[in-house]
Amino acid sequence: MFQAKARADILKEVVNVVSTLVDEAKFSVNSDGLSLKAVDPAHIAMVDLSLAKDAFEEFKADEAEIGLDIDKLSQFLKLARADDIVDIKHDEDKRRLNIVVGDITRRMSLIDTTGMSDPKVPSLSLPASLTVNVDDLVQGIRASETVSDHIALLASPESFEMTCEGDMDQVNWKKAKKDMESLEAPSSVRSLFPLEYFANMLKAVPSGSSVTMHLGNDYPVRVEFKIAGGKGDVRYLLAPRIESGD
Amino acid sequence: MGVDISDLVEARKVALADLSGRSIAIDAFNTLYQFLSMIRQPDGTPLMDRDGRVTSHLSGLFYRSAALLELGIKPVYVFDGKPPELKRKTIEERRAAKEEAEREWKKALVEGDLKRALSKASRTAKLDSDMIEESLSLLDALGIPWIRAPSEGEAQMSHMVRKGDVWAGASQDFDAILFGAPNLVRNLTLAGKRRLPSGKTVDVSPEVIELADVLSRLEVSREQLVDMAILMGTDFNDGVRGIGPKKAYALIKRLGSLEDVRAEGKVLVPDEFEEVRRIFLEPEVTDVYSLEWDMVDHEGVRKVMCDKHSFSVDRIDAVLAKVLAKSDASAQRSLDSWS
Repeated sequence: MFQAKARADILKEVVNVVSTLVDEAKFSVNSDGLSLKAVDPAHIAMVDLSLAKDAFEEFKADEAEIGLDIDKLSQFLKLARADDIVDIKHDEDKRRLNIVVGDITRRMSLIDTTGMSDPKVPSLSLPASLTVNVDDLVQGIRASETVSDHIALLASPESFEMTCEGDMDQVNWKKAKKDMESLEAPSSVRSLFPLEYFANMLKAVPSGSSVTMHLGNDYPVRVEFKIAGGKGDVRYLLAPRIESGD
Repeated sequence: MGVDISDLVEARKVALADLSGRSIAIDAFNTLYQFLSMIRQPDGTPLMDRDGRVTSHLSGLFYRSAALLELGIKPVYVFDGKPPELKRKTIEERRAAKEEAEREWKKALVEGDLKRALSKASRTAKLDSDMIEESLSLLDALGIPWIRAPSEGEAQMSHMVRKGDVWAGASQDFDAILFGAPNLVRNLTLAGKRRLPSGKTVDVSPEVIELADVLSRLEVSREQLVDMAILMGTDFNDGVRGIGPKKAYALIKRLGSLEDVRAEGKVLVPDEFEEVRRIFLEPEVTDVYSLEWDMVDHEGVRKVMCDKHSFSVDRIDAVLAKVLAKSDASAQRSLDSWS
């Protein structure tokens, strides 16, 4: 059993987070709330999301798995205004999710979740961590997108940098420790990432909020932030590109 | 060949492209034999160069490896070393079966029965040391690493998957599961439309089998799975007459282990079971290998394929161009490298 009522903007945040990586996803619900772990088809990035039940206006659930076509859900939620209340009911017999926005009822057939196993979350020890405002980061990303398709993240005890090097041009974005919410780096670390993935992840962060990143040397980056006004947690993992000798 | 536990496992079908970014250890002998049996003309004659040497294995190795590289899949080929002593009987039987198939192929040709000829011919595949050497030089030119196992190739490749150096092993046989490979991919090198010896075409897609999934579904340990295989018969021992997957599963489920089956006294457990168990559970493997994917050596590939073995330069070039265009993306790691 699963039925819930939630503000449309909160559901949109969830959909934004998930749709950057996968088209179909398996949500798990239980009496505490909703969660999801998914990895993109190329296994380059992973999302681990949890939404506490008090992020919802109403929430009742027994343990269940619900397979959703994220694109369909996203299209339907576009019909709702931010403060609309969306009513969701899982129809187990008909294997559907019934979603009501205002006068519209959408009956969405679920996808089969057998064979959709939860990805293993790698345990990583990432020496550097830092917290910054996402809007600042997104500016740095915008400046980089025309220059190259990958971006280097560098953390040192004094500062955090994003560098993008193309064949001809270069973009550098840098923040000193004193201008950041926090920065802990015992030494300098650097990893290179596919820009499109990284940019899409940051674009899923609610504007104005803080993002925490954990970094290593030629290691995946872990990007953590809150959604649903602090009642939901998102962790992204992104695998690095390894630079060749040339 | 190998143990047929297909009735006991559930495979998950995937698209070849879903495996992009993964490194996969391929059972080289298993794969080369596949090419040798499949890549044949309608009357069963294998592909040959202008000197009459068989080149089916090179054709398969080149086109299939290129297709994997193009998708960003990183193959490493693992060749068999010295077979365990217990495998000798299996090897003898296979040789005899091939000679028999060879005779029947010729007979079918004389009788003009092409369908039967192709079906028989596909069972005559032989891999000699020259063919292996040519395959190795082609892999070198393609920048694909290869490893010679101390003993069974499947044991070595399973060891590499267990260590996390590669994501999965690839073979048509299920033995890698018994050797403890967490992930096994079947149909990796034959995905696509395939013509069966019977003349029918089927659409083959790769499938992934996870050891953890097999064990939890059956609720047995890997040791018990190996015990079941021994009852059914492996490359290293004859099975017990009349015992197939279902009976072997029921026996081990009910009693626990081969020691218990023997103690009960109703089924004659193969004498050599402890040694066979050791082959699967403590196989001879090596940690000395390096996994580096180099750039494709265009000239080198042409030399092996076109100069030595009469493949068309245009066709080889066209395939290489696609691989080279893709090679920049290979610097992207997959998260699997850390799990």
